Amino acid sequence: MSRLRMSAGRGKSCSLLAGLFFTAAIGLSACSGGGGDGTPATPTPTATPTSTAEPTFSTKNEASRFLNQATFGSTDETSDALLPQNVSEWFQRQISLPRTSHMSVVLGAIEDTAPTELEYVQAGWPTASFYMSAIEGEDQLRQRMTYALSQILVVSAPVDSELFYQPSVMAAYMDVLNEHALGNYRDLLQDVTYSPAMANFLTYLQNQKANPNTGQVPDENYARELMQLFTIGLTELNPDGSQVLVGGEPVETYSQEDIRGLAKVFTGLSYDTDSFYDHWYSLDRVSRYSPLRPFDEFHSTEEKRFLDLTIPPGTQADASISQALDHIFDHENVAPFVSRQLIQRLVTSHPSDAYVGRVSAVFEAGRYTLPNGDIVGDGRKGDLAAVACAILLDNEARNDAFSQQQDFGKVREPVIRFIHWARAFGADPAEIVNEYYLFDSSSPERLAQHPFRAPSVFNFYRPQYVAPNTSTGDAGLTAPELQIVNETSSIGYSNFMTSFIRGFAPNFGDDEENGLNLTYPAERALAGDPDALIFHLSDLLVAGALEASTANRIVDVLNEMPIRTEDEEQRVRDELLRVQIAILMVMTSPEYLVQR
Amino acid sequence: MSTTRRGLLRTAGALSGMGLFSSLAARSAYAADTSGYKALVCCFLYGGVDGHDVVLPFDTSSYDAIADIRTSLYSGYAVGGDNNPRARQNMLQLSVQNASNFGGREFALGPEASELHALFESGNAAIVGNVGPLIEPTTRSLIDNGGVALPSKLYSHNDQQSTWMSLGPEGTSTGWGGLLADAVVRSNANTNPAFSAISTAGYNVMLAGQISRQFQLGLDGVSTITELEDNSAWLFGGAEDPERIRAILTEHYRASGAVRTNLFERDMAAASRRAIDNNEAFAQAVSDFDSLPVAFPQTYVGRQLRAIAATIAGAGNLGASRQIFMAAAGGFDTHDNQADNLPDLIRDWSQAIGAFNQNMQALGLNDDVTLFTMSDFGRTLTVNGDGTDHGWGNHHFVVGGAVEGGRIYGDMPPPELETEQDASHGALIPTTSVEQFGATLGRWFGLTEIELRAAFPRLGNFPTSNVGFMG
Repeated sequence: MSRLRMSAGRGKSCSLLAGLFFTAAIGLSACSGGGGDGTPATPTPTATPTSTAEPTFSTKNEASRFLNQATFGSTDETSDALLPQNVSEWFQRQISLPRTSHMSVVLGAIEDTAPTELEYVQAGWPTASFYMSAIEGEDQLRQRMTYALSQILVVSAPVDSELFYQPSVMAAYMDVLNEHALGNYRDLLQDVTYSPAMANFLTYLQNQKANPNTGQVPDENYARELMQLFTIGLTELNPDGSQVLVGGEPVETYSQEDIRGLAKVFTGLSYDTDSFYDHWYSLDRVSRYSPLRPFDEFHSTEEKRFLDLTIPPGTQADASISQALDHIFDHENVAPFVSRQLIQRLVTSHPSDAYVGRVSAVFEAGRYTLPNGDIVGDGRKGDLAAVACAILLDNEARNDAFSQQQDFGKVREPVIRFIHWARAFGADPAEIVNEYYLFDSSSPERLAQHPFRAPSVFNFYRPQYVAPNTSTGDAGLTAPELQIVNETSSIGYSNFMTSFIRGFAPNFGDDEENGLNLTYPAERALAGDPDALIFHLSDLLVAGALEASTANRIVDVLNEMPIRTEDEEQRVRDELLRVQIAILMVMTSPEYLVQR
Repeated sequence: MSTTRRGLLRTAGALSGMGLFSSLAARSAYAADTSGYKALVCCFLYGGVDGHDVVLPFDTSSYDAIADIRTSLYSGYAVGGDNNPRARQNMLQLSVQNASNFGGREFALGPEASELHALFESGNAAIVGNVGPLIEPTTRSLIDNGGVALPSKLYSHNDQQSTWMSLGPEGTSTGWGGLLADAVVRSNANTNPAFSAISTAGYNVMLAGQISRQFQLGLDGVSTITELEDNSAWLFGGAEDPERIRAILTEHYRASGAVRTNLFERDMAAASRRAIDNNEAFAQAVSDFDSLPVAFPQTYVGRQLRAIAATIAGAGNLGASRQIFMAAAGGFDTHDNQADNLPDLIRDWSQAIGAFNQNMQALGLNDDVTLFTMSDFGRTLTVNGDGTDHGWGNHHFVVGGAVEGGRIYGDMPPPELETEQDASHGALIPTTSVEQFGATLGRWFGLTEIELRAAFPRLGNFPTSNVGFMG
């Protein structure tokens, strides 16, 4: 029953994970009798547990469940590989793997094409590069964290936007997230602030100091969203992410005056070129995507006051920005505000306050002690590698008693469902760029989601979204992904997957051989034995948790579809059709759509 | 879905006073007038449209004043030379029937809004000036002196979107459109309640009711799952009975049978089931969108209003006598390049609304359908170079045969800084509240005064619950 059985074969240990298993057993018995309302006992939160145990996953399904949270989806190969390995080593290896460079992929593809000469299809390379690395990149933890961060520090390049026509600028931004995804959040904020992509998206590129003669004032856009969405949020938080209440009311973190004060900080940034006013169109490519340059003559020389910080008059751009980011990053909200959202992206939509508190303590401490005793993180606040370990190794993430609870889990993001399919069945990443539907999957008739193309800086969905008139809503659970689930997108997803699973999604170009045409050899070998096929798909896609009702319906459908053996070609085709419908039915089942 | 539980949750989260009115409304169920057919269509302009740059000061003294305050923006427009949409000679002056309310001041729309201008001139459109979220009437002095209650999280996009739609910041669970739909459903106005509140722009809290739920309509109608289409047999190989496979698949997609413990799975199962059931019912009732009398522009908003027009045309088959719709599009957050970007955005809306109104007239439904605009907030009167920043009060349009058009309701503060209606940098302090605006529409829609008070709980804080544009 329990999915998590860490090896206890290393002697009597007091390790966190061994402790978790013990708690799991208690929790499970408590909750099975209580109708799912009881919360399993939680061990005392500790940011740096010490241990010398080296637990491993004892079943493939445990490994698979872990990989569905930590990567873009488990595969036969990756779950097998994780089994004999201890989880500490897995993290250490992931952290040390060389990272993917989107810039090299994108530049390799578009070469020296000038913006005016850029072909429409070439503008799809940042997307293709994202999918290619998500499907085949070894640095899966980093990639998954990058995708999570891209939904907090949102930059969006919808089709036909200015950024859409600057693929190298988007690649540079993707690489900034990649570089710091297992690095430090403060460093990330620094590079994001100086990135041409963010400056274009949140309109502080070539933003200028106030001009009393014309009444012109600095653009407030970045100042506001930096605080509201990227760092501290609107209201004061406790370390466990719950709201600070004074007289029963939440306390706002900043006022409009703070925004005006901070807006002065983000003046005087432009491209890395000689003239402040240069337009991206006229620049050489390297200047277009390089970090922004300060032009102090355009930077506000006034005193800049916000959040109880006063930057003295005459402070120059770089110094002002550094001081401002340091000050904001010191705020106690940052750890719980960012931690809760990262938990939502990886593990569960409505984490307990205690879970947020434990992860947030690691964010604050900047270090995490792995089960093997090694330390991740350098002790600076905001170490994201330590935070990733804390999220994924937490009792609430690993302990099966939690996953059995009614309020645990998250709706799998549509983009991740697609990537999981591509990984699980060995899609050829080189063909991604030929797939027309992947060029833009934003519409609800497709995935209602496209990497780096949220409808606005508020992402595809909001972290605090509670869906009205739903079971999760009635229970008061935040469920961000439900914000993009509706009549159109439910069917859109199913049809999108049908076209890929069956290999008839339209391609660019005339060559029918282009695009993803999967042959499912391993699955086809099981096509004659529906039960075996279903067990295989259940292990592969839902860590063995396929519901009986789904399995029975798949068997019923397959039994209606004969495998005609007279003719070899016919036999192969019939086997393939069985496999395709079975995969589609698993991937449209509620137990697949929700990651637990 | 326990009603007790829901009741408790609502009371816990309710604003003061709201609980009482909710229970009053429940007792007086079936009160709403549901005779004939009426539809409300909300067009939401995401990002905060700059009302200062939509309803333009036109008399020379006001024109000079705004051109002075907005020097850099107006010079951005002047790049267009002879076609400068903010040159006085290119602007479309409004013949305001109640001009006397505004002294000698005159108003115009930009040439990009020619359809809206024509609708105003023909009496099919009105402007509601300086409307926005308020708790109670407010001025700059009152704010400076403290002691006046203000909406929370002003100037923040998501919170002010939510406040326009649901009268509270993000996290508020029901919108006033949804509460209007609730009244409709409680009165049994629609044989299939699923089609009481319909969005073409994804989920919006505006249409979230306590009992009603928003139906998501695709731009080209509803979709069908490929495997469930009549011609899907080829996907099933040599199956002798594809109909039986489709029946099993239908049960699969309806996720019938198993009761799920996990709440997220339960919601995903319910969403899939609704998609199958509602789309099938819709497809049977509403005919091809191409059969509408007047073609729509192929823009995002044009296609949305086309889908809504077709649904209204098929309302009889859907068994609906009251419907509320939501269309939306973004791009109005013009922090920069406003002179380049805003006119095109306005043109898209103006053309789409023009085509929508022509269709309603051709279908004989103009008096039954009222369209109105909303947006996050207005913008500052001061500029930040080539754009503007987040404001508060804004000017909006109401369009339809039932509208007392050709008039400007509410207030049009002059283009001056540091006035009693200037919150700061020319962000307008609203003089008409969203609740007064919504209640005026809700009354026309058929809600009783008690139902209106339940949907707009702060209505009593204002001198009137009727702004007048619906007579």
